[in-house]
Amino acid sequence: MTDSSIASTSRPAGSAASSSGFSLGGLFRRPEVGAFMGMVLVFIFFSYFGYDRNFLTPFGTSSWVNAASTVGIIAIPIGFLMIAGELDISIGAVVPAAKMSIAIACGFYGLPIPVGLAITFAIAAFIGWVNGMLVTRTNVPSLIVTLATLFAVSGLTLFLSLLLTDTTSQALTSPAWAKTLFGDYHFWGFQSSVFWWIGLAALLYFLLHVSPWGNWIFALGGDQESARNAGIPTDRLKIALFILASLTAALSGVCETVLSNSATTTTNFALIFNTIIAVVVGGVLLTGGFGTVAGVFFGTATLAIVQQGIGYTPFDRNLSSLIIGVMLLIAVLMNDTFRNMATSISSGKKK
Amino acid sequence: MKFGKTIAAATVAALMSTSAMAADIAVIAGSIEDGFFNLIKKGVDDATLVVEANGGTVNYLRTQNYDNFGPDLVTLINQAVAQGVDGIAIPVWVPEAQVPALQAAAKKGITIMMYNSGQQVKEEVKGVNYFGSDEFVAGVAGGEYMAKAGAKKILCHIQVPGAINLETRCNGVKEGAEKNGAEVVVLRVPANLDGDITGTAEAIKSELVGDQSIDAVITLAAWASDAATNAVAQIGAVDRVRVGTFDMNPAVLDRIAKGTQTMAIDQQPYLQGFLATSMLAAHLDFGTELATDPVLTGPAIVDGSNVETAIAGVKLGAR
Amino acid sequence: MTDRTPVLEMRSVDKSFGPIDVLHEISLKVHEGEVLCLLGDNGAGKSTLIKTLSGVHQPTRGEMLMDGKPVHFARPKDAQELGIATVHQFGGTYPLMSIGRNFFVGAEPTRGIWPFKVFDRKKANAIAVKSVQDFGITRITDGDRLVGGLSGGERQSLAIARAVYFGARVLILDEPTAALGVKQAAHVLRIVNEAKKRGLAVIFITHQVMHAMAVGDHFAVLIRGAVAADFRKGEKTREQIADLMAGGESMADLEASIEGYMETHEGHPPPAAE
Repeated sequence: MTDSSIASTSRPAGSAASSSGFSLGGLFRRPEVGAFMGMVLVFIFFSYFGYDRNFLTPFGTSSWVNAASTVGIIAIPIGFLMIAGELDISIGAVVPAAKMSIAIACGFYGLPIPVGLAITFAIAAFIGWVNGMLVTRTNVPSLIVTLATLFAVSGLTLFLSLLLTDTTSQALTSPAWAKTLFGDYHFWGFQSSVFWWIGLAALLYFLLHVSPWGNWIFALGGDQESARNAGIPTDRLKIALFILASLTAALSGVCETVLSNSATTTTNFALIFNTIIAVVVGGVLLTGGFGTVAGVFFGTATLAIVQQGIGYTPFDRNLSSLIIGVMLLIAVLMNDTFRNMATSISSGKKK
Repeated sequence: MKFGKTIAAATVAALMSTSAMAADIAVIAGSIEDGFFNLIKKGVDDATLVVEANGGTVNYLRTQNYDNFGPDLVTLINQAVAQGVDGIAIPVWVPEAQVPALQAAAKKGITIMMYNSGQQVKEEVKGVNYFGSDEFVAGVAGGEYMAKAGAKKILCHIQVPGAINLETRCNGVKEGAEKNGAEVVVLRVPANLDGDITGTAEAIKSELVGDQSIDAVITLAAWASDAATNAVAQIGAVDRVRVGTFDMNPAVLDRIAKGTQTMAIDQQPYLQGFLATSMLAAHLDFGTELATDPVLTGPAIVDGSNVETAIAGVKLGAR
Repeated sequence: MTDRTPVLEMRSVDKSFGPIDVLHEISLKVHEGEVLCLLGDNGAGKSTLIKTLSGVHQPTRGEMLMDGKPVHFARPKDAQELGIATVHQFGGTYPLMSIGRNFFVGAEPTRGIWPFKVFDRKKANAIAVKSVQDFGITRITDGDRLVGGLSGGERQSLAIARAVYFGARVLILDEPTAALGVKQAAHVLRIVNEAKKRGLAVIFITHQVMHAMAVGDHFAVLIRGAVAADFRKGEKTREQIADLMAGGESMADLEASIEGYMETHEGHPPPAAE
């Protein structure tokens, strides 16, 4: 009957071509396309207004790509947590904690970088584990749990830094190999973190959309009780996701520290907002159960383009924040339109 | 190319860029949330009129906040380089991060002009000149003033711990105070309280309540003295605890006129912005260089004796 | 027929939560290829009973037997492994996931070797769609469709098809038709019959007598935690069953007293002073 036409017009996340060949319409109904179109829109806007200041050149591009990478590395695991129905705002303190860890271990105490890395990632994994344990063992919502760890870690970072080094900032000089790997500029000014971001995105895409464990994450966020009854180890999965978020926060912090040769104890509250914005602009539902890695990737890029691109435009700088707000709103509206198209058409119309 | 540029200019109700032959400058400043830089901006804006009259452009770049200051400043420096500017006017607050980035920019032929902070690294980044206050000298002046006015124990409040200019100020306060028989205790609060008047007031209040021998407070930003005087008023110690601050705003001058605040140390940010921008452009366009190097725009101490003239300047947004 | 060993049996099961006694001396049997309807008004203890059958709760007293042998379920997983599947009112399905993914949650088919296992989407979709179509739902053809786009009845059907596919021997359906319209309820009842034909034992919990009578072979009425009546199909009429569920008071008497009140007071409640 009309089965094949229903099949070709109703393809949500994760699907490939229908039997009738590649369908452009089908492609456009994938939910991550919304985030992509939002990114294209803001890119065109800033390309036009920033043209004179070289926004479209490779160096101009690396400007926003670099900014995207430091947020993007953390944003995807935060997206996973949001899909699984949880929030993690402690990353605002985990990043400076990681920064100070490597800076103090290697800059102050002179330990070799691999040792510093081991210490830093161990600390981050521990914080993630604590987050996961508190969320799964108590009934406290993850927003509150991670708010508490945010302040606890922030305070500990400041306290330990003053205790060990008497100051709140630390310099770090890294050997050439560490610089290349974590904190240097490559090609046209692209930071090492950019390559980590792209690699991590590919890996996490595989995890969420291709591997069976991704199914577990969606189920966990969709209906935790049913997921548990279906045999999914929901507690262990959540803890693993919190640890993943903290580890990537540490990676981002390490890259930034090696690049800028310095670390301070300041809690990065703005980062919390930025990761959540990137995730939501990328199409992940705040209520959980839905989202795509590509979406978060594009959402992060959108945010970076808007925040960095403003410096290339001739607009009055006092209007910067206003323009950023408006552009983000437009990007999200574009996103919503596409997602609604994707899910409504896939629910099928009776023929 | 020119046609497209003209269209863009016509649709934008702000400053326009024209030919690429004259000086294109980037002026990098601090957090967009920090009112202090509005004073710098007035200086930059006034100088921009001259720069544009000579066919150049000025791009004023600021960070979003102080949450990730070092890396954010490096991002802005790289942005300026990507934009192909001829010169960068910039304070250095985080030397380990900023110096390599500025050196890389200098290698590309970009001229560096410094202002507000980082005088000690001027040679490393091949800075043409420095327009600002010597933080240490200003601190000494402040500490000395308070001690001579009768303070015995001074609390020095740092709102962004680790920021080199702020740390240096308190070090100066210590020296000036100790030379005149007073002791100094430093209060470093978490940087997320930066700009938070209530939070800062409470933090200072707890120190004052906890240590009744403190009889003076010096803050390093005008808004912080709003918080400090608030704290002092809360515990009813206006007659016992003197408040002084770095930098000014209308409220500060009001209080000095009324007597609830003792003094303000003005580094005259308008001059910093104005001179850094105009001198950089002049250097790029005409090759000029000032014989005085560094050029100190402060400290200038404003207290009850000279507050009236200062108030006039604040009304014009320049002080 | 009734001489066979019941697949699942409860003998004098009590369940208390601290001082509160919820179930009293429950004895039930269900055989393969039979539908046992558990009827009861709200608050009769139906949900506690289901949870005890599916291993969420443990009986305080009494025993449960499968195929004549005593069993003890410490967790829901134990019951599931022995083939007891529970389908809840809203299907226990994930609206934002595709049909294929929904079908295989927790038991995903994979290709490749660890840790590079790939979720075999094509296989999952094919099996899911075939299972559902075998039950008579022909409208579902695309395993990539999101479950949220299916009707309530289709979602129930999917959940039942899934349970059957994974080898359930006992299907416990918790108020499957409560939230459905007439046509969709008919759909679900057809599927229950199909499951029965395939040899499953079905425990059908409901408070809607008409639906129960459409599929039930054996009925038990639960009132305040105890089995008030136990009879086979054809032994009682619809009115008698409804009366039993309402706790003995005749439905007709209840209706009459309400009508009488409406006439004398024109529908208004009595003034406080009277």
